[in-house]
Amino acid sequence: MFRYIVRRLLQMVLTFFGATFIVYALMFANQTDPIQALAGERPITDSQRQVLTERYHLDEPFIKQYWYYMKALLTGDFGTSLTNRKIADMLEQAWPVTLRLAILAIVIASTVAILAGVISGIRRGGAFDNVTLLVTLVMLALPIVVLAPLAQLVFGIQLGWFPPTAGGDASLYELLLPALVLGSLVVATELRVTRSSVAENLRADYVRTARAKGLTGKRVIGVHVLRNSLIPVITLIGVDIGNLMSGAIVTEGVFNIPGVGFNLFRGINTEDGPLVVGFVSVLVIVFLVVNLIVDLLYAALDPRIRYE
Amino acid sequence: MVGKRPWKVAAGAAAIVLIAAGCGSGSDDSEASANSVTIGIAEPQHLIPANTTESNGSQVLGSLFYPLVKFNEQKQPVETAAESITSDDNKVWTVKLKPGFTFSNGEPVVADNYIDAWNHGAYGPNGNDASYFFERIQGYADLQSKDPDGEDGPQKAPEPKAKTMTGLKKVDDTTFTITLSAPFAGWKSVIGYTAFYPLPKAAFASPGVLKEDFEQAPIGNGPFKMRGKWEHDQQLVVDKVEGFKGQVPKVDSITWKIYQDPSAQYLDLVDNRIDVQTLIPIESLGKAAGDLGDRMQKSPNSNFAFVGFPTYQKEFSDPDVRRALSMAINRKEMTDQIFLGAQTPATSFVSPVVSGYRPDSCKEYCTYNPTKAKELYTKAKGPAEIKITYNVDGGHKPWVDAMCNQIKASLGVNCTGQGEPKFADLLTKVKAHEPVGLIRLGWIMDYPLMENYLGPLYSTTGSSNYYGYSNTAFDNLVKQGSEAATPEAAIQKWQQAEDILAKDMPVIPLRFGQNVYGFSDRVTGVTVDLFAKADIYKIEVKQN
Amino acid sequence: MSDIEAVTAAEGATGRTPEPGPAAESRRDKPRSLAGDAWIDLRRNKIFWAAAVLVAVLVLMAAVPGVFGAGDPRDCALSRQHAGPSGSAFFGYDFQGCDVYARTIYGARNSILIGLFATLTSGIIALIFGLSAGYFGGWLDALLSRFIDIVLGLPFLLAAIVLARRLSSDPNDSGIWAVTVTLGFLGWTTAARVMRSSVIASKNQDYVAAARMLGAGPARLMMRHIVPNSVAAFIVVLTILLGVNIATEATLSFLGVGLKGDAISWGIMINESSPYVRTAAAPLVWPSVFLALTVLAFIMLGDAVRDAFDPKLR
Repeated sequence: MFRYIVRRLLQMVLTFFGATFIVYALMFANQTDPIQALAGERPITDSQRQVLTERYHLDEPFIKQYWYYMKALLTGDFGTSLTNRKIADMLEQAWPVTLRLAILAIVIASTVAILAGVISGIRRGGAFDNVTLLVTLVMLALPIVVLAPLAQLVFGIQLGWFPPTAGGDASLYELLLPALVLGSLVVATELRVTRSSVAENLRADYVRTARAKGLTGKRVIGVHVLRNSLIPVITLIGVDIGNLMSGAIVTEGVFNIPGVGFNLFRGINTEDGPLVVGFVSVLVIVFLVVNLIVDLLYAALDPRIRYE
Repeated sequence: MVGKRPWKVAAGAAAIVLIAAGCGSGSDDSEASANSVTIGIAEPQHLIPANTTESNGSQVLGSLFYPLVKFNEQKQPVETAAESITSDDNKVWTVKLKPGFTFSNGEPVVADNYIDAWNHGAYGPNGNDASYFFERIQGYADLQSKDPDGEDGPQKAPEPKAKTMTGLKKVDDTTFTITLSAPFAGWKSVIGYTAFYPLPKAAFASPGVLKEDFEQAPIGNGPFKMRGKWEHDQQLVVDKVEGFKGQVPKVDSITWKIYQDPSAQYLDLVDNRIDVQTLIPIESLGKAAGDLGDRMQKSPNSNFAFVGFPTYQKEFSDPDVRRALSMAINRKEMTDQIFLGAQTPATSFVSPVVSGYRPDSCKEYCTYNPTKAKELYTKAKGPAEIKITYNVDGGHKPWVDAMCNQIKASLGVNCTGQGEPKFADLLTKVKAHEPVGLIRLGWIMDYPLMENYLGPLYSTTGSSNYYGYSNTAFDNLVKQGSEAATPEAAIQKWQQAEDILAKDMPVIPLRFGQNVYGFSDRVTGVTVDLFAKADIYKIEVKQN
Repeated sequence: MSDIEAVTAAEGATGRTPEPGPAAESRRDKPRSLAGDAWIDLRRNKIFWAAAVLVAVLVLMAAVPGVFGAGDPRDCALSRQHAGPSGSAFFGYDFQGCDVYARTIYGARNSILIGLFATLTSGIIALIFGLSAGYFGGWLDALLSRFIDIVLGLPFLLAAIVLARRLSSDPNDSGIWAVTVTLGFLGWTTAARVMRSSVIASKNQDYVAAARMLGAGPARLMMRHIVPNSVAAFIVVLTILLGVNIATEATLSFLGVGLKGDAISWGIMINESSPYVRTAAAPLVWPSVFLALTVLAFIMLGDAVRDAFDPKLR
């Protein structure tokens, strides 16, 4: 087990380099005119263009640009964005609030999804199952661009239960509404996978055995069925954590949270290579760590799975 | 039991993660003194005056600095930080500063502050966005250098010949002269712009080199000073300067609250969590009247929306085709239905906010007339397929689609809107001479002169002349206007230039913009000027 | 639990592991594949038929929109902005004054094609990756899993813009295949990870060891034993991916790298009408309803198919 973890950590290093290379290459492929992209619609003078091109090595070949970037990165310097801000500062500012938001969202979403999924799985075809199916469909059909402002309007302003916007220093309470909205993105899938997993496992032999042995329904489900049903769900939750962090662009914009999603969106729009690579590098590490935890959890849930 | 160890490891890791999540600092309200207001902006790009061209940065700097001139109701420049700005020949201007002003760090405001700041702004290698404002000053060209083999070549550009402009001369501590390379009657209006603010000696680490982090907490000669630093993506707070010698604002402090999304700002405004929003987004306009009532107002601004005809596309070369297209568009329907009155139909090439504007300079070509349009179009054998290219990130799809529908209905031709992700992508295609069709463009003025709507957009070397229009007679008239002896004579020449535009129709003028702004219950005296800046001097908190 | 009872009864009769239900027992003389058994079960499943009918209607809408009696989806006039239903415009008019009913019907083609083919592409890629990584383990798993981690870390936005740009060079085509490929190549990671986890859980089961001892090679093991047992969660994820793809196509258009020109799709309709939902809800509600119905149809279909194929139910 220990050797497995060490091997994974070593793989992480390689993956990190691979990821930064690929993202840098993508940004480079995406670049048509980063200087104009930064200026928006204002015309740029030649001398300005020159200065910015030279300052950010924009006229050098891709490999050289990547080399400058990696050299700096290895000394802990994440570089400067095209708007002349230190990317390390931007990372320091954006990650904490995104982490808080994403984790809050995933905790709420997975708890709701697993509970509702288990109940739906047990009583397949029942009233509860059909209602959750309906709610799932509504959430899927309403894209986040509609759901977020609507929730903000109804719960933030009309009912006044939550403040309509959070900020960078938001407290857990202020993050609750955005977390609920964000969580709605992933509840649907997690709920349905739990449901199908539970329904499947309820037909297994060991369940029959357990019942025959006289165990209560609660124990059968809570201890035996759940443990065996959770493997695909945990996988999903792991993937969703990362997705929520990088994909919360709309929610962050609507609730005014200057987090990772917003910075990534801005970086991609302004063709700001160092900025995007900086954020994505940290994101890839998050995925690596989370997926490692998930893989370890498989072993914990199912003793037949071994890692050497 | 075999399974115990993985559980422990996994649980431990998960616990660490959850604890990290739980640590959240609660929001700390900056102590809002009773006499302070919160104004919403988007994140400024820069806060160095010569590097600031967008409205957010200008807003913030407008509270930290005091301009040489401000503009009155008639759009005429009025001396503010300057005591007098005079010239006998419109070429050599003498600026006398009002005595007794200081920067917020105690330094007295002297002529050197202006000269050093402008030289730094104009110096090419500093790469300042607003550097072109100094173009007219004699000696500007020596501060620029050209890369000998173009942008992409390996050779670096040589150092410019000079670091200071010969046209700037100090006379004494409160007087300096500006010599232009050619006479320009409207110069007094130009130096009201953000780029011309002075910089204190404390801003420079060494002569000609600004301190790295001056931007994070700029020190200016204005009625407010920074409290702390620029909290990126969150806010900037400014407090009033005691004993300010100029016009004293009515509030004691302003919080410039930064929003990524104007709709989020709008909701905070409705909830009275911020005091002013200078631009209510279009999506919210429909409900704004109901949400805000008379907390919503309108005022004109300098925005100009139009579409340009790329001269390299031969199907548009007949002016009748262009005129027909212009007459096929129902501007009023668009401003009423799509913009809900937030913009006004354009029937001239220059904005109503500048002197010299005539409401009918476009004559009948900017009036909706579908029958005449179709007649003219068929006679001129206009193309059967029209494309309009625009940038999606500006929210232009709704009105471009509407315009296409109007063209379809009026002329019976097919019309499609083609969205590019960013303006930069659109420009790349235009520069590569791809068949983009009509180009969606917009313009915001740099200074309130008619010339600013003519020169940059239509003169052969105009910085925003992306479509390639070139007419020597037009260029000459603009130049003659700039060199005219009096503003009135200038306007005459410029109006003649505009008449040429009406004949040639290089672009279709569409709309002029308005500031649709809103404010909270607790403030009064809120106005937003031509540059979409809230007036920080007049706003006050209601006493009751 | 009727299934449990039926199984217990069968077990009682033969004293061995559960066998196909009573109806199939009578046909046990003819050796039948898993697929054959599955089809018999499907035929009897009411939900399967309901879903099949719904899917057929949607496919019809995509193929021949004209038969639904809609007007011209591109005949728009600002004077009709947000007008109510009239004539054959059963759903009223949207912000540009276009017929919402006509646009919904004609938009079905783009949305359904994109949803279907993008999901299919993602499904195939995910199956290959997840199966290989889960079954073979070792360095192959490490390689594939780390690759999946990288793809997961890539901002969807960035990859989508780059891919869409490279793929749609011809300005005259609507860009539907570029969008399909983009969504297909970027949406497979979740399904792959889910597949991998199911395979890891299944491959340690007794019946796999038994089959291996009987001489089954990897291919046979994978196709006949492991896949049917691991496919449940995978199918669920795919059915939801379908709905997500239809909606994500809208995001791509919103960014300027989706369908070009005046193409119509449900996603585009939803995006265009959402800023004005407080003024007029119909232009938003109707494409959302159709999207939801499409997802519902495929969820039901997926559930029915999975139930039929699942050996654990036999």
